[in-house]
Amino acid sequence: MAQEYKLDRLETTKHIGPMVDKHWEELRTAKQRGEKVAWCSGPMFIFPYAMGMKCHFMAGYAAYCGGRRAADQVLEVAEAEGDLPDTCSYHKLHMGMATAVKKGIPIKEDVILPIPDLMIIGRLCTEMAHYAEGLYRRMGIPISAIDCPPPRRKEDYAEIGKFVEKQVREELIPTLERLTGTPFKSDRMSEILAVLKKAATLRNECWEFFKQIPSPWTLWDYGVSIAPVFYLMGKPETIPYYEKLKAELAERSAQGRAAIIPEEKYRIYWDGWLPWAFLGIFSRKFTSCGAVPLVGRYPWEFFPHPEAIDPNADPIHNYIQLWYNPEIAPKHSAEMAVPFIGEVVEDYSLDGLIMFTSKSCRIWSMGHADMIDIIDKKYGVPGVIIDADMVDSKMVSEAQIDTRMQALFETIDARRSARRR
Amino acid sequence: MEQALEKLFEVVEDPYKAVAGWKESTKGKVVGCFPMHIPEEIIHASGMLPVVLWRGNEPVTEGHAHVPPFNCGLTRSFVDDGVRGKLNFIDGMIFYRTCLQAGGLPFIIDRNVKPSFLEFLYLPANFPGAGTRDFIIYELGRFKSLMEEKSGQSINEESLNRSIEIYNKNRALLRKINDIRRNRPGSITPREMLAIVQSSMLMPKEKHNELLESLLPELEKREASSDGGKKVIIAGSLCQTPRLDILDLIDNLGMVVVDDDMYVGSRYFANDAEEGINPLESLATRYQQKSPPCPTKGEWELDWSDYLNDMVKKNQAAGVISLLIKFCPPHLCYYPDVKNRLADLGVPHVMLEVEHEAVTLEQSRTRLQSFLEMIGGV
Ligand code: SF4
Ligand code: SF4
Repeated sequence: MAQEYKLDRLETTKHIGPMVDKHWEELRTAKQRGEKVAWCSGPMFIFPYAMGMKCHFMAGYAAYCGGRRAADQVLEVAEAEGDLPDTCSYHKLHMGMATAVKKGIPIKEDVILPIPDLMIIGRLCTEMAHYAEGLYRRMGIPISAIDCPPPRRKEDYAEIGKFVEKQVREELIPTLERLTGTPFKSDRMSEILAVLKKAATLRNECWEFFKQIPSPWTLWDYGVSIAPVFYLMGKPETIPYYEKLKAELAERSAQGRAAIIPEEKYRIYWDGWLPWAFLGIFSRKFTSCGAVPLVGRYPWEFFPHPEAIDPNADPIHNYIQLWYNPEIAPKHSAEMAVPFIGEVVEDYSLDGLIMFTSKSCRIWSMGHADMIDIIDKKYGVPGVIIDADMVDSKMVSEAQIDTRMQALFETIDARRSARRR
Repeated sequence: MEQALEKLFEVVEDPYKAVAGWKESTKGKVVGCFPMHIPEEIIHASGMLPVVLWRGNEPVTEGHAHVPPFNCGLTRSFVDDGVRGKLNFIDGMIFYRTCLQAGGLPFIIDRNVKPSFLEFLYLPANFPGAGTRDFIIYELGRFKSLMEEKSGQSINEESLNRSIEIYNKNRALLRKINDIRRNRPGSITPREMLAIVQSSMLMPKEKHNELLESLLPELEKREASSDGGKKVIIAGSLCQTPRLDILDLIDNLGMVVVDDDMYVGSRYFANDAEEGINPLESLATRYQQKSPPCPTKGEWELDWSDYLNDMVKKNQAAGVISLLIKFCPPHLCYYPDVKNRLADLGVPHVMLEVEHEAVTLEQSRTRLQSFLEMIGGV
């Protein structure tokens, strides 16, 4: 009889819901309190935060909407307005929500956001600009635009970092100062960084538990715990959250309690977006096969080197360096990602790779097939591509997910038995 | 057909043969530029031949193993051509962040095609501020040094200014030809205009200028067509040559293309670079031109629909045909606003979604027929 696997859920992650809800509630009601609101993409959201603005982050909204099971409804509004199905789902979600607000089309109340006073483009991805431009055209929302190119080679980082910092100083900061009528709050930014440093340090300590065999938690648990190092950045309650999480993981580890019971069969690397609207579906599929997703390029993006945060340094320079110092920056480009994947495959004793390709977003997908080939040749770790979407259910085929996952697990099994022979 | 035009057709009908032939006969180096905004003048000044990389004319086969199926035809076909060895005569390739897909190409090309050199320019979107301009100039300077190193030929102000002049001359000649098409509707077919522009992207500009100079008086002898077909503008098809069968369909339905807003069209020759000043400054200024509004560049205050509306008015055209490349995100994101605004402005408009692979044209034919009815052409 086939082995039955179960997920032994964490307790601490139950506490994230109220923190996240509070954030969105405060954002939704910001205008009633006369607060200014910005919608941001890329790494720029810390700047409006420092100015005391309420700030919405593009990808965070997708995760939230997906979690609230409102994504399909909002996407439908966008498509009815003329947005085309192959367009980036994050773009469409925002167009749909803004259209619903503008035209009074009913959507779930808790995913309605205030129309912002400012759109801030942090152009890590070219489409992060297109969505702001679209909202400007449709609703006349002003834009502050910062180009943030992801470097392809180590030697490119320094100059690009200087360029990004210059744009922030000459374009974004003065715009925020004009909008809020106050000088830039450098001290507040340092305070946010100090809290972030603590939260991200604890988060890294939690990451260490992913290295254990079996692992006491899964990447999905981290996925739902991501907000404290992301859009909840700087909130004091993020620190106790990660302290609690770390304590629970330490306790589980001491008891030898694993995330998957009765045994962890496959340890998986996950590339690309987390499938926000389908976390449950994927979790069930992983669990039913005894597989546990552990590491990923995207979830590792949020301040992986908190030791480099220096609350006593010039906060703007320090923050930009977190993105543009080649030793510590996130690995956006495929060129920089390959060595990262190689490292984590070894550090976390991974058995296979799942490259999650979003059909409506090409930021991770270019090169997925080649990355699998490189890692397989060098480390003997196989991989598969799953193409779906992070929020749009029309682009997700459970049958394809099953087939690809099965193919991966069979390859891992075949290699294991070959090694035993 | 005029002799010069025949020569231009030869080039676009088999760009592989034409470019490889140039290399063979001159022993020079070929540098492929990914569309749409790499300043070719810098490569030209180094004595190498800049060509604009193109969409192949075959269905994608081996490329499938490297590039997702939900990418635009150009990126898929280009990777396919590359991995099948069809681009081996290209010495160097230059990319920049046209869009997410183009930004991801160098990784695949570096590993599987291995041109002698591959460079990536971090040309920023056209955002405001001195920082952006300084960085564009920095990148152009870096590009210049790279081209000097790869060609073994130094580029000075004089040689770069000379290249700018040659390019400006080419653009001026192309504008004159486009004026003939605009002033004498039907005198130049869409296929001919495409061949005239695309050949410029594939051969030395000096040679192209010569051919255009001999072609121009010939074209001036052509008359406007007397069929009284409805005048239309074609727009879109972002980095790619539009499909010829669709152009023929437009033609065969009796519509007369009087102008276009395409990259392999009027966008390629719309703006000159200023002569006689610091050439990198001049090229940076050309790069930063906001008009024609390009969906891949960060520009929001100038509206593409207004630009198209002006083009319609200037040409007394009856409407706009948008060619939207399947899976082209910059156009996908912009298109709904163009559609709605053109409707508000009362400009008749139809969109055809275009794929790389051969598909039946029936749907396009039906859409074009209803469009023709809408503009009173039937
Ligand atoms: S294309 Fe991808 S990376 Fe870009 S905005 Fe959309 S979801 Fe984000
Ligand atoms: S045609 Fe569109 S998707 Fe393709 S490379 Fe150009 S901008 Fe990118």
